[in-house]
Amino acid sequence: MNAAAPMTKDELKASLEKVFPDVQPAKLPTGEYLTLRLPSADRLVPVVELLVKGLGFNYLDMVTATDWLGPVSLAGFIREPNFNVFLPEGATPQAEPGGKVAGVDYRDALELTWCLSSLPRGIKVFLKLDVPRKGGRAPSLIPFFKTADWQEREVYDLFGVRFDGHPNLTKILTPDFTVGHPLLKDYVHQKDRFD
Amino acid sequence: MTETTHPAPQTLKSDQLFVNLGPQHPSTHGVLRVGLTIEGEIVVKAVPEIGYLHRGTEKLAELRGYHQCVVISDRWDYLSAMNNNLLFCLASEKLMKVEVPERASHLRVIMCELNRIASHLLFFGTFGIDMGAFTAFLHAFRERELVLDLFEMSCGARLTYNYIRLGGVMKDVDDKWLAKTKEFLEFFKARLPEYDDLLSFNPIFLDRTKGVGRISAEQALSWGLSGPMLRASGVSYDARKWEPYCTYGQFAFDVPLGEQGDCWDRYYCRVREMHESVKIVEQAIAKLQPGPVLGKGVAKVPKPVYGEAYAHIEGARGNLGMHLVADGNGAPYRLHLRAPSFINLAMLQEILVGERMSDVIAILGSTDIVLGEVDR
Repeated sequence: MNAAAPMTKDELKASLEKVFPDVQPAKLPTGEYLTLRLPSADRLVPVVELLVKGLGFNYLDMVTATDWLGPVSLAGFIREPNFNVFLPEGATPQAEPGGKVAGVDYRDALELTWCLSSLPRGIKVFLKLDVPRKGGRAPSLIPFFKTADWQEREVYDLFGVRFDGHPNLTKILTPDFTVGHPLLKDYVHQKDRFD
Repeated sequence: MTETTHPAPQTLKSDQLFVNLGPQHPSTHGVLRVGLTIEGEIVVKAVPEIGYLHRGTEKLAELRGYHQCVVISDRWDYLSAMNNNLLFCLASEKLMKVEVPERASHLRVIMCELNRIASHLLFFGTFGIDMGAFTAFLHAFRERELVLDLFEMSCGARLTYNYIRLGGVMKDVDDKWLAKTKEFLEFFKARLPEYDDLLSFNPIFLDRTKGVGRISAEQALSWGLSGPMLRASGVSYDARKWEPYCTYGQFAFDVPLGEQGDCWDRYYCRVREMHESVKIVEQAIAKLQPGPVLGKGVAKVPKPVYGEAYAHIEGARGNLGMHLVADGNGAPYRLHLRAPSFINLAMLQEILVGERMSDVIAILGSTDIVLGEVDR
């Protein structure tokens, strides 16, 4: 197989399915791109290994996460009610009546998202993995892509997911005295010396 | 402070020295701190420390409506805010399935390319200063001022534009603006060869940048570099060609590539990109037809249905990407920015090792970071 020929979504899906029948398309795809759901954390490294070594994927676009807890009550969440010109005074979009929208798969999980590209073949693939909101773990991709270093540190800092095999998993964006992981939906700001 | 950035005295060998670069050093272009361990003249360890400008904009976006998030996007890469506006709008439009009128798409391209010129001019000027050439800075700022004047005429702002809106652009441009833009392009084309005479082929500048901070193509790909940083190493990856957005597919332009991946190649890729941007703006102005500039169907409080979108564009600093998740509420459920400055900066810990202390500033300058985007 020519490693530089353009590849379609279906071809990529078929060649992954042949080796990993349990890696299936996600129910909520990321836009028009091929989005696959990993059944467990130990599937990540073999899938990425196949993508990198067998299918010509040479670029890790991003590592990120989404907290699917759903909108939470804003009490204690922000200091001042947010004046929003598009909504009644004092309301914030997340505090709208209902809050949780019907049909959305809210769950007690963090969804990790990896986006990999093959620059010569012109295709991107999104890999998704659910981990627990507290104490979630996933393997680090540093052996394949060094860019995973800071991006995984960012996910650790903002969500609290630990990446196994990361040589220096420390805070990167928030100050050393910040308690908690700010991008979790139920994060409550703790008073510090700047308040 | 963590142990990695402040080594305890007993861990330093007798001939090693810890040098603290930043966060208030003028060559760090913002609030970046690099902890350098040096042995004589040679850097043996470099630990960049960021977060001084972290404002939590990804969290702020979760509490604000989609129209308000455009304002937040201005504050990331404040030297090319048009590109950030465009990225957020493209990602949201994918979720909302809004059609953008052709005139608005052309205007977006014109503004983004003008902004790329302004941003690269600032790089050109400040990189000259980093290398000890002050004159180039004055030339660059003279031209950048003209671009900022054009932005001021079209949207009233010089730095944070909020010009590109969901569904199109804020306001149409008039014939006077187009005439002034053409006038600027003619003026600017005549200035571009001057830059080469003044700085690009200046023997002192060449001595300081040629062969310094070399990045191989494999290293660049592994570190996920993008934009001129990646293209200087000879890898052709430009989102405008790879996955054309707006109306970039209609224009003829080249993607400048470097060969060595050294500081000079990174510098010269940006200079040549300015030539290409001029070409794109000229073609876009020629194709501009009268018509609406704001698409129909964007609500005052947009509530895109449950879904996810990923958009990526070629910003001035590299491949800007946005992962946007909507759950049907009036604010993004989750917004993640793939910030090219942040990803390019991570590379420093590898390429600074083994370089001379005097070349640290050259390498740092050639990465062209904006701390607003690094820290978000």
